Amino acid sequence: MTLDDLTRTSGEWLRGTGPESDIVMCSRIRLARNLADFPFTNRASRNEKAGIESQVRSAVDAAGVEAAYFDVNAMSDLDRQFLVERQIISRELAAGEGPRGVAVTPKENISIMVNEEDHLRIQYMLSGFRLPEVWDEINALDDQLEDDIAFAYSSSLGYLTACPTNVGTGIRVGVMLHLPGLVANKQIDKVFRALQKINLAVRGLYGEGSQAFGDFYQISNQQTLGKSEEEIIKILTDVVPQVLQYERSARQELVTGRRQHLHDQVSRAYGVLKTAQTISSEETMLLLSSVRMGVNLGLIDDLSIATVNELFIQTQPAFLQKLRGSELDSDQRNVARASLLRSRLANGRAVEDE
Amino acid sequence: MICQKCQNEAVVHLTELVDGRRRERHLCVDCAREAGLTLPDAPPDLGLDAVLQGLIQKNVGELVGELAESRCPDCRLRYMDFRTGGRLGCPHDYRVFREGLLPMLQRFHGATRHVGKQARLRPGASLRLRLRSQLRQAVAREDYEEAARLRDQLRLKDQHA
Repeated sequence: MTLDDLTRTSGEWLRGTGPESDIVMCSRIRLARNLADFPFTNRASRNEKAGIESQVRSAVDAAGVEAAYFDVNAMSDLDRQFLVERQIISRELAAGEGPRGVAVTPKENISIMVNEEDHLRIQYMLSGFRLPEVWDEINALDDQLEDDIAFAYSSSLGYLTACPTNVGTGIRVGVMLHLPGLVANKQIDKVFRALQKINLAVRGLYGEGSQAFGDFYQISNQQTLGKSEEEIIKILTDVVPQVLQYERSARQELVTGRRQHLHDQVSRAYGVLKTAQTISSEETMLLLSSVRMGVNLGLIDDLSIATVNELFIQTQPAFLQKLRGSELDSDQRNVARASLLRSRLANGRAVEDE
Repeated sequence: MICQKCQNEAVVHLTELVDGRRRERHLCVDCAREAGLTLPDAPPDLGLDAVLQGLIQKNVGELVGELAESRCPDCRLRYMDFRTGGRLGCPHDYRVFREGLLPMLQRFHGATRHVGKQARLRPGASLRLRLRSQLRQAVAREDYEEAARLRDQLRLKDQHA
């Protein structure tokens, strides 16, 4: 598998299947792990980073994970950005220095970042709301990697991480939610404040400090010490359904109270995406979000959620440039984006209101 | 601009308030020194790290003051570096800086003890970390004989790991 192969496929987590997938784009768990016999990445020499990288790579091979390894240190900035857009690597890994990389499986469920803030950042993603399943998978993978790696661990503090905010379980349990209803009725801040009170973090699609885009938000735990992995997962599996319920009633309110207005908004969004000759990334996200809600509410019936989900990623700057095989400036990207949208949405039409 | 005292290029430009009146002075390096002004040799360091550390010290109090200069023997990180940079340097730091870290963990996580998945015991790993840090220090002081000895020792341990 090469980077170019990735432009022809899309991650399983975009498929729009699994429980609650009208709102829950994907469930994701990541584990922070470090090798016990090396300094943390920020303190490791080039040689040590290379040593860490080769140990992790051989552990991944030995675990029988069918994964391609991408050398992030050697790749172009465009390729790095491409992997960030696909949620395969973090912006921090992209911007890092020295030997570092990522192992990715063909369906992009698993990504193992090497020499990010911690030596290993193991990530597992599945579409829909299925955290217990994701935990079973990543727990087994973690065990397999441990066959070949001595993890930094203390019996009192658990897995030792470069930042004390991750120490203990080293786990971040998150769900990515599409919340256009709560954005429309302006209740979203209220929901977030409530989540923050119980120590859950809310972030945009691209993690820490990134702005919410396309009305996508990630909710995840912050505390990693003093609670077991299962307890942390249970907090999320208890709380997220309440958020889903708020979102559903917000959508219902829009449908019953302002159906014509909503239908108009969705149809216009769809129309613009299908016909525009040049379109910015921001406008695309905004309109795709409307269309995604429209599909889920039955206002558009000839478009799959998977296609809409994919378009959120495929209309990003680096993807467009990879697809064209050349660097494009902002104006050229807007033209390429519009052309991609027209061809992907060519046969769609909005539902006639009875 | 020319120095007000000689014909050299002026590099020091000073605006003073004397008895409520502005006074401008433009001097070359030598005349400035003669006038008793201290000049930085290197480009001025803004000293942000020192400012930050000062602030943290002031606000976190005595305990940090004592801890601040303590240093991990393996990765050489000072506790103060951690407080400014936010990242620890190696797994041993959790033991070395325990006193400072525990209250921080309590504040952030509401706990100071791990519950949950347990890693397998690997007694040799911590020793290898120590050997590796000794190796790095030997290379740094160009003691290649010692470095070679440590490298062999590590190689042996890695095989048994």
